[in-house]
Amino acid sequence: MSFEPKLLGFLCNWCAYAGADLAGVSRMKYPPNLRIIRIMCTGRLDPQMVLKAFAEGADGVFIGG
Amino acid sequence: MAKPKVAVYWSAACGGCDVKVLDTNEKILDIAAAVDLLFWPIALDFKYKDVEEMADREIDLCIINGGIRNSEQEHIVKLLRRKSKVVAALGACAISGGIPALANLYDAQSILDYVYHKTTSIDNFQGPLPQPEYDAPEGRLTIPKFYDSVFALDQMIDVQYYIPGCPPPPSLIVKALTAFLQGTLPPPPATVAGEGSVCDECPRERNREAKVKKWKRIAQFTPPADTKKCLLDEGFFCLGPATQAGCEALCIKANIPCEGCMGKPQGVTDRGSKMLSYIASLTDASTEEEAKKILNDVVDQAGLLYRFDLPKSLIGGRRKE
Repeated sequence: MSFEPKLLGFLCNWCAYAGADLAGVSRMKYPPNLRIIRIMCTGRLDPQMVLKAFAEGADGVFIGG
Repeated sequence: MAKPKVAVYWSAACGGCDVKVLDTNEKILDIAAAVDLLFWPIALDFKYKDVEEMADREIDLCIINGGIRNSEQEHIVKLLRRKSKVVAALGACAISGGIPALANLYDAQSILDYVYHKTTSIDNFQGPLPQPEYDAPEGRLTIPKFYDSVFALDQMIDVQYYIPGCPPPPSLIVKALTAFLQGTLPPPPATVAGEGSVCDECPRERNREAKVKKWKRIAQFTPPADTKKCLLDEGFFCLGPATQAGCEALCIKANIPCEGCMGKPQGVTDRGSKMLSYIASLTDASTEEEAKKILNDVVDQAGLLYRFDLPKSLIGGRRKE
């Protein structure tokens, strides 16, 4: 079995999350490895959250915003 | 009414917490008069056998300081847990590993190798390491097994109350013991400390506009004694904002930046990363390279950010398979 990474995305409500939404509306496809969490601003992202994602098994963290 | 029975034990600790129990000055006499001390290795001559002979849940309050470093300590704290109604963790080591737990950045083998082979003060010409068991002609000798990691007390046994600090201020010890004697302890688990962070108790003044170009160590620079300016604003690595209140900013009043011994404030999971984001927002850098340069100049980042709570942090220490 090939390695399927689990990625966690923290996306800003006003830019990256809107972009991900638009990708959906435009029926663009992307692999299901990315789980997205919407945050109201990347300024709200705490380093604790990134560490916690890795501690709970994420292979990568994507911060969009 | 019978006096409450109290036991005190130390595991991987320096003894400072025990000293602070004595440091309650004349109140120690009231404490000693109000309770029956059943076990206190540093001060009273009881043996492990005395504890083994007690009935289960016979001890009303068991105060344990120090983390768990070896098999003897694990055995005794589990024994004491069985014999006690309430267990309180006293000091940073018991609560979150403390300074001995910085050894979690290494493993047991590399620590023993360094201590017994590489330190300049040792002359171990045959090179043996301590063995947990040894067959001597007179019989088998055993010493406790040295673990790969240091554990906080509540990673081994259930703990009801926490009294933080390195060492805990005598005022908090008195507060906790008084509450115990009067039966006014909050429902467990609870921490006996102040409200908010050390900054709330600190007399220095913050300048919201301050930016830092270089992070300084107290070993290299002395903060000017007459100033009332915030030590962080002055570029000293002070953990006040990410540390539980309760010490009345003792170190900062003595012109020493906070090292964070009171542990993490409520609502914080990983104190080091919380502090890191504070440091990052104070650092005066316009490009990523500049920020890297300023932050890479900080010596011993892990020791600064996780000095007292490595086993309880999200990073936990060196990965051991």
